[in-house]
Amino acid sequence: MDLQNLNPSSLKSRFTARFLRALTEINAPKTISSSSPREIFQRYRRIKVAADKSMAYSVRSRRIWSRATLWRLRTRSRSRRLVSFGRRASVKTRTTASHGKENKEHHGAVLGVQAEELRELVPGGEAMDLCNLLDETAHYIKCLTTQGFCVYMGGLLCEGCC
Amino acid sequence: MDVGEKDKFELEKRNENGINYQGSGMSAAWQFAGGGNLTSTPMSLVPSDNPLVIGSSSGSASMVDSFCSNLWEHPSNSQSLGFCDINVQNGASSSNAMGITKGGPASMSSSIDRQFDMAWNAASSMLKGGMFLPNATGILPQSPSQLPADSAFIERAAKFSSFNGGSFSEMVNPFGIPESMAVYNRGVGLMQGTQNVFAIGGLKSVSGVESQKSKLIATETSGDACLKTENRATQESPHKNERRSESLVWSNEEARQENGGSGNESNEAESSDGVGGQDEPSALHSTGCEPSAKGVSSKKRRRSIQDVETDQAKGSQSPVDAAKDGAENQQKGDRDQSTVMNKTTTKHGKQGSQASDPPKEEYIHVRARRGQATNSHSLAERVRREKISERMKFLQDLVPGCSKVTGKAVMLDEIINYVQSLQRQVEFLSMKLATVNPRLDCNIEGLLEKDIFKSRAGPSALGFSPDLSVCYTLLHPSQPGLVPGGLPVMGNNADFMRRTLGSHFTPMAGGFKEPNQLSNAWEDELHSAVQMNYGAGAPSNSQEVNGSQPSGHAEVEL
Repeated sequence: MDLQNLNPSSLKSRFTARFLRALTEINAPKTISSSSPREIFQRYRRIKVAADKSMAYSVRSRRIWSRATLWRLRTRSRSRRLVSFGRRASVKTRTTASHGKENKEHHGAVLGVQAEELRELVPGGEAMDLCNLLDETAHYIKCLTTQGFCVYMGGLLCEGCC
Repeated sequence: MDVGEKDKFELEKRNENGINYQGSGMSAAWQFAGGGNLTSTPMSLVPSDNPLVIGSSSGSASMVDSFCSNLWEHPSNSQSLGFCDINVQNGASSSNAMGITKGGPASMSSSIDRQFDMAWNAASSMLKGGMFLPNATGILPQSPSQLPADSAFIERAAKFSSFNGGSFSEMVNPFGIPESMAVYNRGVGLMQGTQNVFAIGGLKSVSGVESQKSKLIATETSGDACLKTENRATQESPHKNERRSESLVWSNEEARQENGGSGNESNEAESSDGVGGQDEPSALHSTGCEPSAKGVSSKKRRRSIQDVETDQAKGSQSPVDAAKDGAENQQKGDRDQSTVMNKTTTKHGKQGSQASDPPKEEYIHVRARRGQATNSHSLAERVRREKISERMKFLQDLVPGCSKVTGKAVMLDEIINYVQSLQRQVEFLSMKLATVNPRLDCNIEGLLEKDIFKSRAGPSALGFSPDLSVCYTLLHPSQPGLVPGGLPVMGNNADFMRRTLGSHFTPMAGGFKEPNQLSNAWEDELHSAVQMNYGAGAPSNSQEVNGSQPSGHAEVEL
């Protein structure tokens, strides 16, 4: 094992730091392992959100998909807390979706079906033309692999802990 | 990046086609220049290329060889520079700066200084455009020093470049690839233009060397007609006659000779200088000054091109068939070049359709690719498509197992599948984390360090799996099996995850028949890296792995 100098500002390190901190927050309150499926599911939800959020924060606003993810997370949390304002949030999402569809019609790409699918997959992809969409997809793929790797490693570590 | 290289190589091929019938020394040198131009660093190229443009015809073959060797010494490519747009934009800006800075070191007579500077701007901007490198600002001042080698030749070159000089400003635009190629074409045209000067004088004497040159000349004229037509606009009639005779002379010769014709050309140039070559250049000079002085608008050029091409159409229909055959090959090269030119000029002038319609019928003056529209919309569309294909190639490298796939639709399908599987993977892992209740009372920072360390060591020590398509299919059937809670289920999923991630980060030796080894290898790494009580966890994991092996294998065979 060679101790190569780590890049402290690499995507992996940033994401891992944030994710581990989020994990500790999630797991701290629960001292006794609760095996009820619902609680586990809740924890899963939180962990997943933590993973996405930490990934998006690691990328900041440099990428459209990260911005979209952060915005989505914020609006979701807001909509949960403020039920009365939930309509506004849903309206916002609707407007973005419709705007994206207009864009789709304009560009009329030959690969319309797959482009649509890709847009649904990549957060924030609805309002992008194919060119930028492919850019975002490339970066998104790279970040997803990093995310998966780090979460997996975190999981192994936690397994080792207990 | 691949695309940048690919564009460069296209450019190279076009140049090769365009100068196929030139004199051997010139063509060889130019091809080297073209190839080296596109693949070498600018620092080494620029000083050797600039003289190559003008000096090769005047210099001896040894000079050319030295330049060529210099070029090939630095075969670095610009793969590290990502997409081409950024690079060419930088190149454009730098070439603009170059144009300004080049005004200084010209060492010609005052009357020729301006045209010469423009010629050099053209050459340098061409080279820079062809570089695709953002650090092309370092155009070395060595290039002008090479010029005084042949003052008479340079003089003529300057005069001839005056016609091209005015339109160079157009070529230097922020539009990436076409700009560079157009600029490159400008440079080629410049070279051809200078040779044409020799041709004018060369026709007057008859010799063996002369025949070589006239062959050059004939191709030059046809090439010139394709690329740059300002010259033609100004001196149609005398050139027409000459072209006919030239084409006749050229038709007599078939084989392309490969020797130091450049040296002969220089002699010819000097000899013909006094004969009567001055008449033409002077005429050209006077008429050429105007467009260059005004900073030619595309409209004007388009009109002149149209006139010239109609005249040339009449004039060139008479030439011998041999000339036709020769020109066709060049035409193919020129077609693409003119396509590029067409692209840039129409982008600026918004007048592509009218001027390009007549030339389409002519076999020499093709402006756009056959069967393709030439209005700005289709050109923009074509550029957009090229951008998209660029990115698709980049994604192809990113997504494993897509190198054999051809076609956008299938590629997009693969990409979609890959993104979906990655997202599901994260979901799996977070679910797994949720089920395992970690007691994170141990040092989080230590965990963090080790995680990063492992993440560094993992991908670095192990390669990337070449084919992950099987992983996706594995993941898909496992989806319905995802039940929160229940360790055996998670163990199964963990095994899947391990195999998937293992294939991500480890070279797959023998496909999925040895996932156990791979996961064990990875586990070994973890063992050595993590200096905690990991032993409790590892055996359970390995048990899970062993226990679920049969099921795992069964699903592998799916």
